[in-house]
Amino acid sequence: MFKKILIANRGEIATRIIRTCREMGILTVALYTAADRDSLHVRLADEVRMLHSPNRYGDADEVLAIAKATGAEAIHPGYGFLAEEAGFVERCAAEGIVFIGPSPAVIRTLRNKMEAMETVKRAGYRVPLYADLTDAGADEAGLLRAAAEVGYPLVVKSARGGRGRGARVVMRADKLVEAARAARHEAELIYGDDHLFLEKVVAPSHYLAVQVLADAHGNVVHLGEREGSLLRHNQKLIEESPSPSLNDTQRTAIWQAAVDIARLFNFQNTGAVEFLVDGAGNFHFTEMKARIQIEHGVSEMISGMDIVREQIRIAAGEPVSRTQDQIRLEGWAMQCRINAEDPWNDYLPSPGRLTRFRIPQGPSVRVDTYGYVGCAIPERFDPLLANLLVRASDRAMCISRLRRALMEFRVVGVQTNVALHKQIIQHPAFVSGKYDTNFMARFRFDVSATTSQEVCRDLVAMTAVTYLLRRRVGEPVVPERVKSGWHRSARRLPS
Amino acid sequence: MHKLTIIIENKPHEVEVTPSRTTPGEYAVIVDGEPRTVFVPDYDNPELADWMIVDDRPYELLFSPDMRVAQIYTGRYDVQVRDKEVGTARPASGDGRIKAPIPGLVTHLHVEPGQLVEVGQPLLVLEAMKMENEIRSPIRGAVHQIAVKLGQSVTLGELMAEIR
Repeated sequence: MFKKILIANRGEIATRIIRTCREMGILTVALYTAADRDSLHVRLADEVRMLHSPNRYGDADEVLAIAKATGAEAIHPGYGFLAEEAGFVERCAAEGIVFIGPSPAVIRTLRNKMEAMETVKRAGYRVPLYADLTDAGADEAGLLRAAAEVGYPLVVKSARGGRGRGARVVMRADKLVEAARAARHEAELIYGDDHLFLEKVVAPSHYLAVQVLADAHGNVVHLGEREGSLLRHNQKLIEESPSPSLNDTQRTAIWQAAVDIARLFNFQNTGAVEFLVDGAGNFHFTEMKARIQIEHGVSEMISGMDIVREQIRIAAGEPVSRTQDQIRLEGWAMQCRINAEDPWNDYLPSPGRLTRFRIPQGPSVRVDTYGYVGCAIPERFDPLLANLLVRASDRAMCISRLRRALMEFRVVGVQTNVALHKQIIQHPAFVSGKYDTNFMARFRFDVSATTSQEVCRDLVAMTAVTYLLRRRVGEPVVPERVKSGWHRSARRLPS
Repeated sequence: MHKLTIIIENKPHEVEVTPSRTTPGEYAVIVDGEPRTVFVPDYDNPELADWMIVDDRPYELLFSPDMRVAQIYTGRYDVQVRDKEVGTARPASGDGRIKAPIPGLVTHLHVEPGQLVEVGQPLLVLEAMKMENEIRSPIRGAVHQIAVKLGQSVTLGELMAEIR
């Protein structure tokens, strides 16, 4: 087993990885930049090193240099940054450092989404209709032809990208050229690769992912499926497991497909096999994510497994700690992605410093966060502040618990989307479990605040008291004799 | 006892607030004629006063720094506070130095350096929290200096003018 691991990431996931490392008695090396020096993951690690490169957490050279200098035997990349860079994995191997994740070949294959879909299609599974846009300077006519073959609505996607960025939905032909231009520009910016493809939109649909674990001994197990159909800007706001939209037959079929597909790719370590389920209940493979996911905790709560621990074990050559028969998927779990953004102001990111940070606790409530009172929420990185997870024995109880937890979550210093989550989970479509990808497309955050007269008067009373308290603090200290001389008969100016 | 008009989502409410003489942190408040008791647990540190108990109902609350937005569990509200007692200059010392009683914006300058002023004469107007506060001279004398410009933001206690 490794004695020391370097975590090539930050924030919430770095904190998550450090926790498991500590439980396993493994020393941790954390990285930070000037912007997140006071971040929780830095405080909890055993050793810390500052990144100086402008590429920060994505700088392979600096990360490797630090790994070597600190004697780290393995690197956990988390998600994003270097997690799916095959070249980085190869360099780790060259330096004799174990990369905690799949092999470079598998990463390369899976990053080429079209190739991955072809492989899965050849094995007899459904994939969405798609068209390759090989020529970066593809002429308009070619673009429109390819789109016509795929059909509308379609999504223009980066052939290399992930985490939902660089994708644009196109409803009609007249929007295609502009969308492709924008997508190409964004893909070049984010991934350094402007290779695009068009994929038919299956809508409305359900976004499902099956979490798998695969070791070097040929064992592949799944930890159930997650439903992540509530997306905003391609980010999954709320995930739940199991999916309320599948029957048992479908569920078993999708689990089996996921395991088969993982084997097909000679996959090792952890990943998520992603599917779209259409209105007729057919599932279509879209891609496989070759890394730990933000929503991995949902599967952990259902299965009782520690995915980070399994990742480390697998990378160290050990088998997955349970066979499929030994894995029991029980109860219901949900996760809310709490972002530092303001739903009342068009979700503008809200950086700042936390002056109050009360996270919900109690039975079956888990919060994965890097936040704490006094810490800075930097402008530069992802607005993800915390993942709020709850578990219960059934879905209705799970929603109640989630609602309770959201009510308890108090953040002062930055705005958060807690109010958005509260509104979503109270919506009848969510409560009934009958929602799909159309839900967020139609959902509008209710900025109005209806109030009973009693509550309104309470608010008025509190406002008055707050105002006076703040004024009193602001009052200069005045000697009594001077006070008596001033004029109180002044007129109010007309407004 | 203070009288205020508080406007929530464009509806005005008349408020009278009387701090309790016996219990620190407690206030007797009358809103539109209806009485309420407000208790502020963190009364000696207004920065932390983010929760209160109104009669027997606890509320966690948030106000924007300029007190134009309030947020409680039912949602977010636009707020305006109108102080019925017009703010007047309360100089920190008796020597005619006029310091800002609240942070705000200088929106009017009524006098010039050298000008003779009487007690109570308006010197300048400070706008803050959607109210205009007329700052008046506490003494009779000549305007020695105007230390601020029209449109300037002043912080609490900042010197704005001096009368000698």
